[in-house]
Amino acid sequence: MHSPAPKAASATLARPVDLTTLWIAPPLLVLGGLFFYPLVLILGQSLGSDGSALSLRFYAQVLATPLFQGALLHTIVIAVASSVGCLTLGFVMALVLSFVPFPGARGIARLIDTFIALPTFLVALAFTFIYGSAGLLNMSLMATFHLPLPPIDFLYSPWGVILAEITVYTPFVMRPLLASFSLIEPAQIEVASSLGAGPWRIIRQIILPAAIPALLAGGSLCLLLTVNEFGIVLFIGAKGVITLPLLVYDKAIQEFDYTTACVIAMVNIALSLSLYSLYRLVVARFGGRNAGLV
Amino acid sequence: MASDLALDSARSVARSAREPGSGICFEDVTVAYKGTVVLERFSLTVAPGEIMAIIGPSGSGKTTALRAVAGFVRPVSGRIQIGERDVTDLPPYERDLGMVVQNYALFPHMRVDENVAFGLRARKEADTTVYGRVQECLRMVGMLNYARRYPRELSGGQQQRVAIARALAIRPRVLLLDEPLSALDAQIRRSMLDELARLHRELPALTVLYVTHDQTEALTLADRIAIMRDGRLVATGRSHALYRLPTNRFAAEFLGRANLLTVRREATSGAGSASDGVFARVRFGDVSLLARSAEGVSAGDECLLCIRPHDIGLQRPPAPVNALVGTVQSVVWQGDLHNVTLDLGADLGADLRGDLAGDRGDSILRLVSLPLREPPQPGDRLEVFFAPEDAVLIPAEAAHA
Amino acid sequence: MLVWSRTGRAGAWGVLALLFGVVYGVPLVMIALASIAGQWNGALPSHLSLGHYAEALDGDSAAQLRVSIVTGAVASAVAMFLGSWAALALRNLRPAPRRLFDMVFFLPSAVPSVSVGLGLLVAFSRQPLLLNGTTLIVIIAHFVLISAFTYGNVSAGLSRLPPEFELVAASLGARPGYRLRRVTLPLLTPYLIAAFSLSFAMSMGEVGATIMVYPPGWVTLPVGIFALTDRGEVFAGAALTMLLAITTLIVLLGLSRIPTKAVTRQG
Repeated sequence: MHSPAPKAASATLARPVDLTTLWIAPPLLVLGGLFFYPLVLILGQSLGSDGSALSLRFYAQVLATPLFQGALLHTIVIAVASSVGCLTLGFVMALVLSFVPFPGARGIARLIDTFIALPTFLVALAFTFIYGSAGLLNMSLMATFHLPLPPIDFLYSPWGVILAEITVYTPFVMRPLLASFSLIEPAQIEVASSLGAGPWRIIRQIILPAAIPALLAGGSLCLLLTVNEFGIVLFIGAKGVITLPLLVYDKAIQEFDYTTACVIAMVNIALSLSLYSLYRLVVARFGGRNAGLV
Repeated sequence: MASDLALDSARSVARSAREPGSGICFEDVTVAYKGTVVLERFSLTVAPGEIMAIIGPSGSGKTTALRAVAGFVRPVSGRIQIGERDVTDLPPYERDLGMVVQNYALFPHMRVDENVAFGLRARKEADTTVYGRVQECLRMVGMLNYARRYPRELSGGQQQRVAIARALAIRPRVLLLDEPLSALDAQIRRSMLDELARLHRELPALTVLYVTHDQTEALTLADRIAIMRDGRLVATGRSHALYRLPTNRFAAEFLGRANLLTVRREATSGAGSASDGVFARVRFGDVSLLARSAEGVSAGDECLLCIRPHDIGLQRPPAPVNALVGTVQSVVWQGDLHNVTLDLGADLGADLRGDLAGDRGDSILRLVSLPLREPPQPGDRLEVFFAPEDAVLIPAEAAHA
Repeated sequence: MLVWSRTGRAGAWGVLALLFGVVYGVPLVMIALASIAGQWNGALPSHLSLGHYAEALDGDSAAQLRVSIVTGAVASAVAMFLGSWAALALRNLRPAPRRLFDMVFFLPSAVPSVSVGLGLLVAFSRQPLLLNGTTLIVIIAHFVLISAFTYGNVSAGLSRLPPEFELVAASLGARPGYRLRRVTLPLLTPYLIAAFSLSFAMSMGEVGATIMVYPPGWVTLPVGIFALTDRGEVFAGAALTMLLAITTLIVLLGLSRIPTKAVTRQG
């Protein structure tokens, strides 16, 4: 009783809708409900959806305040300085670990890597014991030179946050760097030095060019992570150092000003997403998800 | 036309190279890694302008010896000289030598010409000098047309040519070649071997230290060969002499293929031969043979008789001196030659067979001949011949060195 | 080997030791010292004791540690499950939508944690879903923040899996479900464990989103530590931070000891 026509029709119908593609729906729905839906609501609230018409008036208000401008500036300065610091420190340490090896070098590298698993505020807290007003450094200096007041207060300036973030995020740079260094043939370095190149020239002309993809990937990942960093800034708790995430927290939790918090959060998210696109671009251009994280 | 140009440029490199090349001298060099001695009291002198090949199995210390010259490993004791200069304590970049390694190690982010210019730039040579020298060296290895390419765009053989040009560009006093051909396939390896020989003819002042595990490369290229084993120098000599007259069992077996028969030197050398001092009569089972004598083999001693497979003939010569009879085990045709394996065991005296029981292969004789129209069949009995000049005795003590 | 002279090498090692010491060594030592400090009036603490740890283990902090572990374990398990699901399901798509969704699943890692918390607060303080003030909202926050990392780990693992295994399994007559259970998932185990480890560690140290959404009855240890240090109880805070770090490392160590059958010979 089967006529050939319906069979053919069902076959052509089945083609465009491959049912296996629907497997992607459940995780997408979960993420949509728990992540994208809240984001849309933040956007809505920042545009004043609770009131009457949507407008940018809250943006105009918030963006004009010195508090916001200061936070934006701090966020950017801290992120850029920390990333530069991470790249420098990570490059120097990875260089020695890879090219001037010693017994135990791998152990040191692994130890630095485990810092990725530790809470970020651990370093902030540790810093208060070292550089804080009653910390190791100030107390020793006061005792040695008979000073009445703690001489060093950089911990409560952006520099304290920057140093803490360098400590926390350098391992994220070292991962891709160590990986890219391990790909450099030792023979290349040997041949270069037999051709008369000293260590500095080899670093400049052989190692650095090979490390550029890793530096770019690690650097842009660092920028993203430091722009988003919250725990370190919170724990150091310097009065003058307010970043965008901290400002969002202050507005929402301390002042219950959700609309302002949403505006600042949108700016912060926009900044983060553009840095994230930069990172993806770098990784796509230079290959390898070397940082192994995002 | 192209070869004229190449020759020209080679002459100009040779002319401007510091005229008499510098030799290399190892003096009692010992190298140890983490307590393991990998090179033990190694002494060797390479004359200026000479090609010295160091061969040996892997782990024999040959590469360590080269790396010690380059400065990548530091001897725990002993000295290394390049020319008149003691370089033992110099860093690699002050040693003035060129180096070519197995995997070329071209810098992947630099073009061919930048690679070749690298050493000159490191020496801060003027731009005009660099340009001229790069052209010259690339022309010499026939890679001038590839100057703007990146290494990844070249074949293995081309990359190795660039690596050679890069090493020569700095006009080194010494060229170190570390298994330079082993990453290439057989056909390119042969042509590169010819190329290297040509380069050395054009740069006769250049001293070359050539490390390889391949005896053909060593025999083709080297003036002298040093054979290493377990971190020690086992034998050294001019290539031809070392091949014809190996001084110990390891040298005989590692450099080319050798038949080693356990023999006993006869008490009297009164075989009537005129060359008493040079030749000695030995007994192999019931057979009496005549071979080149060697130092350290006295009358009555057990020793080894070394005879190369291609020196054994199937044709009865007018006045046969040495003849052996055996049973054909296998005959393998390889196109341009026949490989024949002969078992001499059945024809040995009973006493010697007993002695040989533990020494596997000692009653087996291999020979190669030009393709035979009617090759022998396995199981055939065959008589073979060799001249006393082609057989050499090796002391038994050295056999167990 | 880059530096050939002994003095040069010693210099390089000296620089490394100095950097490592100042940046990593001293902070670790100081926080460990602070956690056992009785008093700290001079340059270094005095009256060392394990008192802070003892207090930590039988007060509120013990409960907070438990909350952190439960939150981390549940959020990581859910993230691992959904992340693997997403990574496996993506393989059925054509390249273009595949790239798009790949980016979608990575996106949560790019958004600041405080904003994620704010979003949850805004979204679930109203109809249709009122979750504000519940335990669930904390776990959701953690799940959202770590989901990208688990997804990333699993999809990286999948892309490294030689396709031949599944082809061979299919040629031997294994249906998709059987293939997934007997071939793909076992081969993915190392990546699943790595994904779980990373997300658990991140969850244990999470402050930004938690501090936005936590209810009084579900305080994670980092939030508790912040409350303590904010009140000036820094030594107790140091002890709890050490406790948090040690717990995390013990769990990671335990996870790394899980034997996996998928041993790749090449390493």
